[in-house]
Amino acid sequence: MAYVRKDAATLTRAEKRRFVNALLEVKRRGEYDELVRLHIAYNSADGERGLRTAHMAPSFLPWHRRLLLELEGALRRVDSSVTLPYWDWTRDRTTTSAPWTADLMGGNGRRSDGRVTTGPFAHREGNWPIRVGVTDEGFLTRDLGRHRDPIGLPTKSDLDRALKDPAYDVAPWDSTVTRGFRNKLEGWGTGRGSVSWRNHNRVHRWVGGVMLGAAAVNDPVFWLHHAFVDLQWYRWQRRHRGAAYAPATPPRRGDDQHGRVVARHERLPPWDVTPGELEDVGRIYRYA
Amino acid sequence: MNVSIDGAPAGAGSATPGARPTGPAGSTRRDLARGLRACALAAALAPALTALRRPPSRAAANAPHDSGFDVTHRGRRIQGVRLPARGAAEDVRWHVTVDGRPLHLMRRADGTWLSMVDHYCSYPTPLDAARAAVDALGPGRGLRAAPVPAAGEGHHPHEEGRHGVRA
Repeated sequence: MAYVRKDAATLTRAEKRRFVNALLEVKRRGEYDELVRLHIAYNSADGERGLRTAHMAPSFLPWHRRLLLELEGALRRVDSSVTLPYWDWTRDRTTTSAPWTADLMGGNGRRSDGRVTTGPFAHREGNWPIRVGVTDEGFLTRDLGRHRDPIGLPTKSDLDRALKDPAYDVAPWDSTVTRGFRNKLEGWGTGRGSVSWRNHNRVHRWVGGVMLGAAAVNDPVFWLHHAFVDLQWYRWQRRHRGAAYAPATPPRRGDDQHGRVVARHERLPPWDVTPGELEDVGRIYRYA
Repeated sequence: MNVSIDGAPAGAGSATPGARPTGPAGSTRRDLARGLRACALAAALAPALTALRRPPSRAAANAPHDSGFDVTHRGRRIQGVRLPARGAAEDVRWHVTVDGRPLHLMRRADGTWLSMVDHYCSYPTPLDAARAAVDALGPGRGLRAAPVPAAGEGHHPHEEGRHGVRA
């Protein structure tokens, strides 16, 4: 039977404790850092040649859906009652609301060096060393809201602008497209500065610290953020009945995107699964 | 995973920054050869870099014809060298360091730049992207010194496409 992913703000004390403990155990086993490595390795940008799977590509959503299932499977091997909670950043919008509490993600980083000093992932607890990363500090960092030049989280209407687009994605299937649900949700805008970071991207920016970099997985809020992003895919499907992942077929030879994006029934590296097979996961989990 | 001297991301495209260096035993002959080439090029570029050492000037440093920059931003030294293209498929490659440590830059299809540190927005020039990375680092955080190939190498899907950054 399908299990349920819940809003982080609604978890009971016991649910939070079990989720955190499972995360710490997966970290201790070394499985967590493998997922950090995986996310870093799949960092290709669309100004480079070669296949893009995780970002700036139509498979942004199925790739991260599969990554989430990877972690969730590891958590459930530790404690079969655990599921990934999601952070609804259209509702919980302050630096002290869910999920930034001492019994879940812990709070903001300190001003001096961004180090997170509260909650189960604080450096002094000794359970969350950052071993795989782009930077050398070795501890979890955050800069919620970017104190030096404050920005806000995306709003419900920002999200709605993405959800109402009836096309999943459009050619050239990259970060420059201004139509299509996928890029509006992923959040690569046009123009400069703050206005150009939308939805998913903007949340990474808002959290800051390690969440801003290619090693964002090091912050466990990565999963809560991406579970909410994943929920938007489900909502979009319900709103646009019959609409499907695109491209349906691979771009032809001679197309600039030939060999650079994953079509609906092509294998999605590094897994042996296609985007089409990940469109409906209702038998595995559902959202509360 | 900087865009290294020979155009391949340091660590041969399969590198994941982060795992601790394993020491000489972990190095390969190819790494050594690359290191030597890098040193040779660094030596050749030293006079040019010295000539480029000047007060930070955004306008000058951002000029499109610039072949490099060497500026201090928030107390960090940012150096960048524009490298010649190796073929028609690419026209701009950069080797950028922050306090001497490589900062891997990536190119967006619209011609803007992003880095491994500041990965979810992009900037008009390599120097802007490097400055943004320094802003994100803040005091007390630096780039990892020597990324080595991590577990999971070999399943990298972008092998053929990772030889440098094209415009």
